[in-house]
Amino acid sequence: MALLAAADRAEFGFVRDHIEVSDSVLSKQMSALEEAGYVKVHKGYVGRRPRTWLSLTRQGRQTFGRHLAALREIAS
Amino acid sequence: LASVVHDDAVSDAPQLTAEEARAALEEAGMRAAQVHRNDRQLGWMLLVVLAVFLGAGAVISLSPHHGSTYAGVAVVVMLVAAIVAAVVIGLRIRAYSKGGIIWYFSAIIAFNLWNAAVTSVSILTRFWASDQPSYHFGISVAVGVIPLLIGGMVLGRRR
Repeated sequence: MALLAAADRAEFGFVRDHIEVSDSVLSKQMSALEEAGYVKVHKGYVGRRPRTWLSLTRQGRQTFGRHLAALREIAS
Repeated sequence: LASVVHDDAVSDAPQLTAEEARAALEEAGMRAAQVHRNDRQLGWMLLVVLAVFLGAGAVISLSPHHGSTYAGVAVVVMLVAAIVAAVVIGLRIRAYSKGGIIWYFSAIIAFNLWNAAVTSVSILTRFWASDQPSYHFGISVAVGVIPLLIGGMVLGRRR
């Protein structure tokens, strides 16, 4: 969520590599977040290569923002 | 990730200790930095356009007044190289932030407006004229690409 919150869009592979999880683990997480309305999945092609891009929805950003605010409150 | 899926994500947070919350915030900052670093690819795109303009400006500046076949070929080669470089960099873009995209398009728009102004002034003041030395063209090009340089530097320094 933190990675996607900073990005307008991030490729599936970019997120996978940076949070160091397998394709299937990330895929499950993204499906759950998509179902919850926090993440939007965009599928497309670059040349012949299929690419999946991920982005946070407005609701996802708001929820993550609240989550960060709560963390800051605890940390202070 | 999983905790955020649930609507009670925020109410989960108070269970954390201050130290855990600070660590989570630190990690969030680190993840944001990873995306901002990837915005550098957009900076490279701007620098490719800058390089091709400067290259063409240099070739024309060094060419005789009535042009030469070699100059034309050199400019075409540079354009092709720039297109290839842009495609390669484009394929390397795996994430971008809103700020990165705003800087990228702002630099492109600023470059088009500024370059058009520099070109107009060069023509109207007869800085570019058949009786003027070829290097005047190079000078105008060097001034015209300033927005690309600024955009490329800003995107290249994103942390």
